[in-house]
Amino acid sequence: MPEAPIPDPITFAVVKNAMDSIVDEVAYTVIRTARSEIVKDVMDYSAAICDAKGEMVAQAKTIAQHLGAIPEAMAAVQARWGGRLQPGDAVIMNDPYSGGMHLPDIFMFFPVFAEGEVLAWVVVICHHTDVGGRVPGSNAADSTEIFQEGLRIPPLRLYREGEMDEALEALIGLNVRVPDRVLGDLRAQYAACGVGAREIASLVRRYGAAGLRGHFVALLDYAERMARAEIKTWPRGTYRFTDHIDSDGLSEEAVRLSVAVTVRDDGTLRVDWEGSSPQVRAAINSTLSFTKSNSFLSVRCALRGDIPNNAGVFRCVEVTAPEGSVLNPVSPAPVAARALTGYRVMDTMFGALAQIVPEVIPAAGEGGNTVVVLGGRHPDNRPFIIVDMISGCWGGRPDKDGVEAITNPSQNLSNTPVEVLERQHPVRVEEYALVADSGGPGRFRGGMGLARSYRLLAEEAVMQLRADRVRFGPYGLDGGQQGGRAGNWLDGAPVPGKVTGTMRRGQLLRHHQAGGGGHGDPRARDPEAVARDVWNGKVSAEAARRDYAVVVDGRTGILDRAETARLRERERA
Amino acid sequence: MRARIGVDVGGTFTDVVLSLPGGRVLVNKTSTTPRDPGEGVAAGIAAVLREAGLEGAAVEEVVHGTTVASNTILQKVGARTGLLTTRGFRDVLEIGRIRTPGMFDLSWSKPEPLVPRRWRREASERIGADGAVVEPLDEGEVREAAAFFLEEGVEAVAICFINSYSNEAHERRAAAILREAAPSLLVTASCEVLPEIKEYERTSTAVVNAYILPAMRGYLSRLEARLRELGLSAPVQVMASNGGMVGLEAARDRPVFAVGSGPAGGVAGAARLGPPLGAADLIVFDMGGTTAKAAIVEDGLPSLVTEYEFRDGISTPSRFTKGAGYMLKVPAVDIAEVGSGGGSIARVDAGGLLVVGPESAGGDPGPACYGRGNDRPTVTDANMVLGFLNPRSLAGGSLPVDPELSQRAVMRHVAAPLGLSAEEAAQGIRQVANVNMARAIRAVTVERGKDPRDLALLAIGGGGPLHAVEVARLLGIRRVLVAPAAGVFSAAGMLAAEAAHEFVEPLLRPLDDAWPSLEAARARLATAGRTALRAEGYAGEGVELRFAADLRYLGQSGGLTVPLEEGEAALRVAFERLYRETFGYAAEEEPVELVNLRLSAIGRGTARLDFGALSLDAQALAGEAGTRPVHFTRGAPAVPTRLLPRAALEEGAVEGPAILESYDTTVVIPPGCTARPGGAGCVLIELEPTDA
Repeated sequence: MPEAPIPDPITFAVVKNAMDSIVDEVAYTVIRTARSEIVKDVMDYSAAICDAKGEMVAQAKTIAQHLGAIPEAMAAVQARWGGRLQPGDAVIMNDPYSGGMHLPDIFMFFPVFAEGEVLAWVVVICHHTDVGGRVPGSNAADSTEIFQEGLRIPPLRLYREGEMDEALEALIGLNVRVPDRVLGDLRAQYAACGVGAREIASLVRRYGAAGLRGHFVALLDYAERMARAEIKTWPRGTYRFTDHIDSDGLSEEAVRLSVAVTVRDDGTLRVDWEGSSPQVRAAINSTLSFTKSNSFLSVRCALRGDIPNNAGVFRCVEVTAPEGSVLNPVSPAPVAARALTGYRVMDTMFGALAQIVPEVIPAAGEGGNTVVVLGGRHPDNRPFIIVDMISGCWGGRPDKDGVEAITNPSQNLSNTPVEVLERQHPVRVEEYALVADSGGPGRFRGGMGLARSYRLLAEEAVMQLRADRVRFGPYGLDGGQQGGRAGNWLDGAPVPGKVTGTMRRGQLLRHHQAGGGGHGDPRARDPEAVARDVWNGKVSAEAARRDYAVVVDGRTGILDRAETARLRERERA
Repeated sequence: MRARIGVDVGGTFTDVVLSLPGGRVLVNKTSTTPRDPGEGVAAGIAAVLREAGLEGAAVEEVVHGTTVASNTILQKVGARTGLLTTRGFRDVLEIGRIRTPGMFDLSWSKPEPLVPRRWRREASERIGADGAVVEPLDEGEVREAAAFFLEEGVEAVAICFINSYSNEAHERRAAAILREAAPSLLVTASCEVLPEIKEYERTSTAVVNAYILPAMRGYLSRLEARLRELGLSAPVQVMASNGGMVGLEAARDRPVFAVGSGPAGGVAGAARLGPPLGAADLIVFDMGGTTAKAAIVEDGLPSLVTEYEFRDGISTPSRFTKGAGYMLKVPAVDIAEVGSGGGSIARVDAGGLLVVGPESAGGDPGPACYGRGNDRPTVTDANMVLGFLNPRSLAGGSLPVDPELSQRAVMRHVAAPLGLSAEEAAQGIRQVANVNMARAIRAVTVERGKDPRDLALLAIGGGGPLHAVEVARLLGIRRVLVAPAAGVFSAAGMLAAEAAHEFVEPLLRPLDDAWPSLEAARARLATAGRTALRAEGYAGEGVELRFAADLRYLGQSGGLTVPLEEGEAALRVAFERLYRETFGYAAEEEPVELVNLRLSAIGRGTARLDFGALSLDAQALAGEAGTRPVHFTRGAPAVPTRLLPRAALEEGAVEGPAILESYDTTVVIPPGCTARPGGAGCVLIELEPTDA
């Protein structure tokens, strides 16, 4: 491992700060110029700056989950375009079997030149509203081949010296349901890349191309050094954990994810996914790049030091998954709904990491946001597509309760305001609320699940739902119990977690997200905290008695100390 | 005599500035009294009146920047607040916008909602997105809620119903019922603050208003009583977050407009400073003890945002760190803040990286050189080691310092671990702090599509003039101005502010057929604006109505605010010009949506502080003379540097290296730079062009 000290600690600190600032400016430009809600409001996009080889040097505070996939995508771009790009060119790609993740995520790679050579890449990845295929949103969980999922784009040059390629523009425009949004978002990606390139050029003027290259190396080494130093403090050994996805939606069979994490003497980790289910028929297969990305990310979350967000951390983590498995599928396996599998990769990793650094890792959260897609036509025949993501909660932590209504830690998603949704689309949201008694009981309670409902105001719509944790609730840790399970209802009748169907005017679709797992024995929870939860309507008086052995007046939220002591005593006996 | 008084309450000091006709200005600093800041305010005013030899009756106006609203939120000492929402939406306040301010941090927790879940009640009612009533308001449930709030001891209530921005009827009715059924409750309906789309932002704004209402009312009436005791019967004006001032009545009803009151004063002053300087466009760079702030003034107007997140102290200029505070959808000066101030602590992390801030030693114990128990080096200590600061005392002699303690702190915590000399390490601390501060400036310029090189940098605050030239160089800025009375400029700036009331009407329709509705909205807003100003004594020539439109391409959720032009076509042209400036392209073929019509109703007074005619009392300009060695350049030896009082500039240009010391700040003129009087009491330092 590189032990070389930072050559010039002061300039190094200055350059690091400048890179962080530039990448945030790139990300900020995307959000200001994009057209779609999924980018502007939900913020499902990410931005990074990579060195010439494609190692990520700086990352904006956007979707972390995307970024571990850059190396493989970059390799595909280099293989096709290496040495053939000019300043002002930009290459796009989305093909999962060329390093992509799923078709809606279109990567854009923008080379930054210095002294006639590529010095860096600005990379912007956006989740696009639609890329064609059999269902609006191109995100169906029940496709059986990637060819049903939409337009596959190998690494192609969308911009040539600043001009969008007419042929590609026409082709993309014809193959997607909302061409103005997709092309608008692609333009936003390009504008943002340009901002990054301009600022990097200004750093080149100040520090020289060679100087900047040296700092890129130092930044990556620095992060690697920090990560290794911390991993070396972890107990050696191999730690295993298994978690499940309910099913792929086409069969009833549970999908198993098994991991073995080995802490090695040199401060590196081996993450082996042997024992995970074979690839499945439906679209929840996770490409190896995406499996790696989420494995890296979970390790990053377990590290507590203030380590820069760059690829140096990835160097400490070796990830393997058997070929043909759900975590390393073979073409033409469908992958559109792979996000779900990514969340479960995180959950499974956290289960193993909780054995290594129990003081850091929370019990399981909701297990990934639920995607609700509704597509149809307005009364005046204009098409609409809603791609709405319902986030959840974090599980109980080793020293405090979980968090309610929060992005999954693998992402940094926002939500679409109800009023914006209703203004733009023919739906009425009738509920957006926390679900009482859904937080997993524990000494530190899991966060509560979120419910959201949609009444259709158009004649009819294609309805597509991708939810999980209906069968396998989020796990608790250290004696904490499972969180409440997820569910979907159409006009009050339960529908499966993963479903594509039709919704008619006036029907009400309701989703209820899983609650987080609890941490620690619920009987050890401070009775005052339980009473406070009852006072706030987060836990019912019945659940307080059943799960926590705490007696609280349901109306006033007042704790009965004596009765609680007696009940807890009786239960211990 | 018609004196006006500006008061800025800071964490450590309360600054009072008194201005007299003809431009004479007196300054006073007293200790802040945190328990009731009005005590310190009254003491400062009494002192400055004594110094000026004036009676309270000579004061015609007091302009007040208050931190009562912001501190009430930060210290969680607001009212027991309830919330009434549409059925199904009790948790909108707690759900928020889902994002986290950082990444990879599994120990983070969301800020506690200001209304606990128990006190969030639902009523059956529903307005559609088009404003139509989908379900009528169940008035019985509103009455039940009133009874519940009273039983629970709730003091203030916010009401926010879904889609009330498009039809206020249910909210207004519910407010009337609550006020009638429970007259003791202080009620804020979201439509009475600003009726904009997005339920969380509107709910949060109404809740904050309700939460701080009793504290603000109590404070203002106590303050009025204290001022009456001093013989002052002049009206008190409160600085609002938008850089304007509002009367006492408005501040009592809508204190949410004054949450950003403190920092707005300096920007308001800068806005008035530009024209006499002939430099209309300025970057305001304010470096204090804990943070540094940046804002923009263009064409004599502060650049505003229409929403911001209010949170505790240290923040970063990154727009991605949402979720850490309380969302306020009210116009505010667009201020980016970084945790780099004089008290910011420098350290070397486990990987060998030099880090400065956001951890701060604040004013107490303060930098190591204060000798009050902090032995870790701060930015002030680095400046001390390098010779930029007076080695005997700061703040005009009132604060003794020991440079040896600075030297030791820098050596032990930064220089030794990095294998550098103390001077090199101090240079490093200064440089890292400068880059952090440049980042705040980039956030309000580059991220807005503005080129900082086209603007002049105005340095204010105790530390601004110490770092301004180097920060300017990082950004390629060629003109640096140091404001008069830079160290108390926020208080002075308030005396230059105009009255300003903000109004908005959502329109949300394609621009192409928006004109008739826009005309109607304009008439309604004009009436509201004139009414608000009339109540504060502004009419006729003194009233300016500034209309602006929020526009975006159809389907976008953000938007740009453009001064209103006559007719759709002209408005579209103005929008596309700004869009292109901001983002580098425009989509001329795409439909444009008119989101809101906004009104800033400005009340102009005749007695505003005119920086062009300003004369500071001589005592305020006094400083030390002589020379001392200063380390300007890394790796080069110290340069003997002249020390001059600020007044020396009146005799002509001063060539660097030189340091101008005055009681409120220190101005650094590096070698190769020349300082000259810049007009309006400013020091002007012009730099060679760079290629940044």
